[in-house]
Amino acid sequence: MTPELDDVLAVTEDVWTALLGETAPLVPRGVPAGTPFDATGAWSAATTVSGGWPGVVTVELDETVARQLTARMLDLPADATGDGDIADAVGELVNMVGGNIKSLMPGPSVLSLPSVAAGRAAFASDVVEACRLDLLWQGAPLRVSVHVPA
Amino acid sequence: MKILIADDSRVMRQIVIRTLRQAGHGGHEIVEAENGREALELVHTEAPDLVLSDWNMPEMNGIDCLAALRAAGSTVAFGFVTSEGSDEMRQRADAAGAAFLIAKPFTPEAFDDALRSVL
Repeated sequence: MTPELDDVLAVTEDVWTALLGETAPLVPRGVPAGTPFDATGAWSAATTVSGGWPGVVTVELDETVARQLTARMLDLPADATGDGDIADAVGELVNMVGGNIKSLMPGPSVLSLPSVAAGRAAFASDVVEACRLDLLWQGAPLRVSVHVPA
Repeated sequence: MKILIADDSRVMRQIVIRTLRQAGHGGHEIVEAENGREALELVHTEAPDLVLSDWNMPEMNGIDCLAALRAAGSTVAFGFVTSEGSDEMRQRADAAGAAFLIAKPFTPEAFDDALRSVL
């Protein structure tokens, strides 16, 4: 069982609006299957769901998007955010998206603490992509993907 | 009123404090904890009137913190602020003695409604 793409989009839009307030919309972006996240500089974060529904929810963000998200969450200028702030904010983003996707799937399940990295995400060989959402925010890319055991 | 906010994310603690202010509850004294274990200690030393706690945290999660508080005889009002708002999680929170569960993403109105239930 995999989450519906429309549900992942709705969750992402809800979280995005809650964190950023009234802002530029998230715009769908056509990306061929199998294409790695292509931002020049990126941040990524993942959280794992285990139990009734096993899966991995991953968020990848262009560095500019990650910095602006962090600044908005902390109510600071974008140039006043450090890497620690960005890691914290991106981790919270995937925690919210992952927690809400978990709530849509059969349980009981457990959500892991998020893991965050500077750079695009790497995926284990024992999972396959079940669902992928490529978006643009103010012209910069972000991706939400869900992987499930192969 | 003194409110203890427990969340391993400093960013989220800031957002909770800001949302309390937006909900008309900005005048309270705030104490912060980075995990459930620290929250447990601070309940004893700071005697807050309300604990607002994340569920998933390192060291000790929110539900274990609440269980430890109740086992120790504490009746402090305790509410979850968590990304997990499923019925199953709400039932677990309720069974453990939580007053409410606010699901992330949240609104100031959700905070106001929840806090009014314990004020």
